[in-house]
Amino acid sequence: MDSSLILRGVRRCSTKRFLAWLAPWAVMAGIGVFAIGLCLVKGLNQTNMDNRFAFGLWIFLDLAVIALGAGAFFTGFLLYILRRDELRAVINSAVVLGFICYSGAVLVLAVDVGQPLRAWFTFWHPNVHSMLTEVTFCITVYLTVLAIEYLPIVLKNRQLRKVPSFLVFEGELHKLMPVLAAVGTFLSFFHQGSLGGLYGVLQGRPFAFRDGFAIWPTTFFLFILSAIATGPAFVLLTTSIVSKISGARLVRHGVYELLAKISGWLLIIYVGLKSVDTIVWLNQTAPRSGINPSQFYAWQPFGTWVLIVEIVLLGLVPALIFMSPARRRSLPWLLTGSVLACLGVALNRLVMTIQTLAVPTLKFEPFMTYWPSWQEVATFLFVIAYGVILYSLSFRYLRLFPQEREMQKY
Amino acid sequence: MLPGIYEFSWDQGHIIFLGIFYSVVIVVATTVVIALFRALRRSSSARDSELARWHADFEDLAPKDRRCRHELSGEVASRTCENFFSCRECMQHQAFVALAEAAPRPPADAEVPPMVAGFALPADRLYHRGHTWVRPEEDGTLTVGLDDLGMHLMGKPDRLELPEPGTRLVTNGTAWRATKNGVTVRVMSPIEGEVLAVGGESDDWTLKLRPEGEKADTRHLLCVAEARPWMLREVERLHVALATEDVGAALADGGVPVDDLASAIPPQQFDEVCGMVFLEP
Repeated sequence: MDSSLILRGVRRCSTKRFLAWLAPWAVMAGIGVFAIGLCLVKGLNQTNMDNRFAFGLWIFLDLAVIALGAGAFFTGFLLYILRRDELRAVINSAVVLGFICYSGAVLVLAVDVGQPLRAWFTFWHPNVHSMLTEVTFCITVYLTVLAIEYLPIVLKNRQLRKVPSFLVFEGELHKLMPVLAAVGTFLSFFHQGSLGGLYGVLQGRPFAFRDGFAIWPTTFFLFILSAIATGPAFVLLTTSIVSKISGARLVRHGVYELLAKISGWLLIIYVGLKSVDTIVWLNQTAPRSGINPSQFYAWQPFGTWVLIVEIVLLGLVPALIFMSPARRRSLPWLLTGSVLACLGVALNRLVMTIQTLAVPTLKFEPFMTYWPSWQEVATFLFVIAYGVILYSLSFRYLRLFPQEREMQKY
Repeated sequence: MLPGIYEFSWDQGHIIFLGIFYSVVIVVATTVVIALFRALRRSSSARDSELARWHADFEDLAPKDRRCRHELSGEVASRTCENFFSCRECMQHQAFVALAEAAPRPPADAEVPPMVAGFALPADRLYHRGHTWVRPEEDGTLTVGLDDLGMHLMGKPDRLELPEPGTRLVTNGTAWRATKNGVTVRVMSPIEGEVLAVGGESDDWTLKLRPEGEKADTRHLLCVAEARPWMLREVERLHVALATEDVGAALADGGVPVDDLASAIPPQQFDEVCGMVFLEP
């Protein structure tokens, strides 16, 4: 039925099967739209956030998807600026993933601000001393850049490319892609950092507060490093999952290996710096604020195991897997490493968002736990469903993997 | 945000932060405006639109579909074309030609067989990688047609969209469109020129052109000696494309290709094969 939209030389499932695949995600998205509607109409009382937990599931989601979406800018940086041409095989997919991650994050932020109709205030009356202002500006502009980068991929659809002026515009945009890649790198570098810096400057929250360099706390640099370390791993993970589900070989194994190698070296640097940062924080920064660091981990479920799991199991282990040439040759090992690395960055963002607020900072404060309402969960799942649907449509009708045709039999 | 707006002040924070922000916005906006401006300018030219289409198609070709003519003829071990098959502008091509001219020539074959793997390759014409040919005529005009593999594939098309006489064709642009079994392909023009006449059903040619300039520039086209290894490679690609999963690629060791390949190729593969043969991914 839709074969005229599908590119030549690639195998895609039947329309019926594709619709059956989309149906459950569409239901999930539908429930999410209802929950979002409730939040927008009735307000944030639909959530379990309060004055203590001003950041909840949604901010965790934002931080996690923005970190994973770093694969887009970092792949673009490696391809267009450092000329790693092998990554041309995944750049389109990375751009689509980045667009999904950032647009999902902005969508959730629009619900999270409570009064989205006043969201423009942050642009019109910016507090230039706030890390959040920088994040808001950078994310907005970078989402625009991602949309511009997405456009040429869409314009090369089999039917759209029949319009001559579309291809001319696509060609002209393509020539200027290095400029957009450089701008994307600049914007991403700073907003990834500012998201971390946001926590590092919280003097009233000793669990998050860090010393730093000039105006930037160490979390600024750790967030950048963890994002660019896991971005390639996320591209690797999604590519191999899509390959498995579609039954098509999408890229050469060498591309997986390169992504893993880049991820591995960056991860090991991150793990090293994170370990040093943690030691300094436990022995100097936190005691200076009058708090015994052991108190940070005195309440379950946020015991010391979280720290160990984050740094060792979800940091060091995937780094070692990725750094081993023998392991890199095995797809199951690469998948294991990617899953661990992505979970690691998600856990880090969860800890920074939730544990920071849960740990009491004053003697009379209780340890507070937070559990999201169904509306929060449904909104979270909406972003997941939106991502799956948009990616599925893009994979079916656009050329996300230029090597795919070549990987077929002729 | 801007001077005059509540809470804006000319302090260091505002100047640095908003200065950087506006610079980035200006860079992004300028990039898009430049792309739009150039696109609008080029879209008005049919020639530029056709070249943009070919460049987009070429970039989507797999490296193994972009082998250099000098690799196919054995002059170099491996070389991928990055020049959109436009040998006229290729410095390497000029170097290869100079090298070949300087080398001692082997004695010419007494008779070059006119068939390659069952497909005719007459020596009186020049071949284009999109399976068309050009024959320079004595009156200075050029005759253009589909080569034998192209004819076997499209046979008698169900629908043919030919250019009107007077139309100016661009090398590697669209010469005509043909539809067969529900699949439409654009056939690439092997050379630039003005359409003088279109062929009928009984003719073995499709277009007659008046070349641009006094003499047609055919440096990008393959002579029959180069076309032979190229055609062999094309037939090999066709075999691989039509291979079934259980048997794999297999070359027939006898016989000739059936006249109507379109009927012999499974419908689900025909579209794919047409895209491969006519360089329209």
